[in-house]
Amino acid sequence: MPERDRDQSVDQMLRRVMSADAPPQEECLDGETMAAWSEGALLTAEASAVERHVAGCARCRALMASFIRTTPPPPVTQSLWRRWHLGWAVPLATAATVAAIWVALPKNEPAPFATAQEANERARDERTAALSSTPPELSKQAEAVPQEVPQELRQRLDEKAKVAEPVANEARQRSNATASRELTDVQAPAPAAAAAPAAGAAAAPAAIAPAAPPRVAAAERAEADAKKEAAADSALGALAARRQAFAPYQIGSPDGSLRWRIVNGQQVERSTDGGTSWTPATISSPDRLIAGASSSATVCWFVGARGAVYLTTDGSRFVRMPFTEMVDLTSVFATDALTATVSSADGRSWRTTDQGKTWSSTR
Amino acid sequence: MPSWRPSESAVTDLYQRARADRWSVPIALFAGALERSARKAFATPPEARDLDRLLASLHLEDLALACACANGHDGAWEHFVREHRPVLYRSADAIDPTGGSRELADSLYGELFGLVERDGERRSLFEYFHGRSSLGTWLRAVLAQRHVDRVRRTRRFEPLPDEEPAPPARSEEKPLSRISEYIQLMRRAVTAAVSRLPAKDRLRLGYYYAEDLTLAQIGRALGEHEATVSRNLAKARREIRTDVERHLRDQEHMSASQIDECFAAVVEDVGALDVTDLLGVAPDQPGPGGGPGSERKASRDKRSKERPEGASA
Repeated sequence: MPERDRDQSVDQMLRRVMSADAPPQEECLDGETMAAWSEGALLTAEASAVERHVAGCARCRALMASFIRTTPPPPVTQSLWRRWHLGWAVPLATAATVAAIWVALPKNEPAPFATAQEANERARDERTAALSSTPPELSKQAEAVPQEVPQELRQRLDEKAKVAEPVANEARQRSNATASRELTDVQAPAPAAAAAPAAGAAAAPAAIAPAAPPRVAAAERAEADAKKEAAADSALGALAARRQAFAPYQIGSPDGSLRWRIVNGQQVERSTDGGTSWTPATISSPDRLIAGASSSATVCWFVGARGAVYLTTDGSRFVRMPFTEMVDLTSVFATDALTATVSSADGRSWRTTDQGKTWSSTR
Repeated sequence: MPSWRPSESAVTDLYQRARADRWSVPIALFAGALERSARKAFATPPEARDLDRLLASLHLEDLALACACANGHDGAWEHFVREHRPVLYRSADAIDPTGGSRELADSLYGELFGLVERDGERRSLFEYFHGRSSLGTWLRAVLAQRHVDRVRRTRRFEPLPDEEPAPPARSEEKPLSRISEYIQLMRRAVTAAVSRLPAKDRLRLGYYYAEDLTLAQIGRALGEHEATVSRNLAKARREIRTDVERHLRDQEHMSASQIDECFAAVVEDVGALDVTDLLGVAPDQPGPGGGPGSERKASRDKRSKERPEGASA
């Protein structure tokens, strides 16, 4: 009989022998000793005595096994590249890194739920809205130029203002909030100049003289900004797209009537108007939520770290379902309120057909 | 002079380090808890140096919190519930994914709060916490203890299978009595071989063959890498096989063919006698070190087949 077959026999017999419930030879250990042993807090002699007892006592061994099952796996601290059997992965990882950098370049970054063009338009609308409050200041300051200004100087100012006007108009439409703040800051001396004539006409030319060049300079700067804006349009769009990339993870119901999203990794919000407004759902997970899936307008599953599985069947109230292992669940596929398949970060999958009450491994 | 009781200055210092004043723990109560910890750790009064070393190693903040909760401090209890209830529930779910341990966790809260009365006095389970481990670890250990005891109580009321029922004859060449005799012989030989192994090897075998822990879980518990666990399991099994072969040859005076028959009888008998089948363990799990890649395969298979202990009850 080959050794391999004999090993199988020993395997079979070991299962029987080790499962035999022999009465303990000494008093069983208490919970605190077990806990201290598991933390390595016992002295060497104590630890050896505990180890001997647990090795020979079926009850304490079962207790420790149950305890071990409650212990979450520690985070991986050892570098993967230090493991000899992963050495072959170094060139592969290098290639993957290069590819990732190439993909991560701003021009190529897509938004998860909107195209880059949509994101660009949205960003532009936001900037226009932000700017709409600043033009009145510009116009007021333009009107604030005193009538006592000498004719020659006024003529020069008007000429420059005419040149600057289309540019300023364009800036109102296209310049961003930062540019508008700069304009406002630069124009700040003008009201002081406007107040000067009240004190005396002689002071007016001296006061207005330094005020006018900033206005022209601001207009020129706005023109330059506008040109830059046009050139950098696509880059800003990409920036907006990048901002979208950090938007909360959203899950839509199949009929599109409801949307859910994960906020801050531990809360869930839902929207009934296609994502315009959001209201918090009754879920507060101590563990980080990672993914979700919706099979109907009222059924949605969320999974996350440490075996977190949440289910709602009424569209708002989530209930945590028990899960077999404390593993990080990274994806979920839901057929209905009863049936779902979840996968863990290490590639395993489980399926439930009874609303998450029991799970069976699919591989 | 050896004593279990720490000095007043030591108590004051430890009280401050434990930040026990947060929960308004009376210093006499805290001193009593420290003394109980010392009595628990030392069978005889320790030297001052040993006592100091023990007290310095205690989880003092947790001990102060336990004292305050046992003393009925509302703020301390709220803090305890906020910090430890999620961990306890997660542990209950890990022990029994069907939710059976949740009620154990809830009943544990009752005992911790002091709902249980002894001699007309409210007694809290916190009095059994001495700070030698962290409070969270102690809670998980107590929960595991309750779960195991409940499972074992349940089993006690179930009819047990016969110790060694007569296996069915599988072939004409091997009479029933001989197979039964070989199996008994193998059982005794394997039991004796296991008993001669070091405690750590026996513990590893028990975790793997009886408790169905994965190699990774065993490794975490014993401070070994899972590949090391697998190698050690394979080594122990090889030693057992060699020991059994030697016993059959030298003590039982069996021939090589008879020894083969002994080993074959165990394999042929799988299913009829496998107690682990009754306990919910799959019979066809590969052993450690059984061939190329078997370590990882064993780990994967065992993980996927892992069942809670409660399922066997």
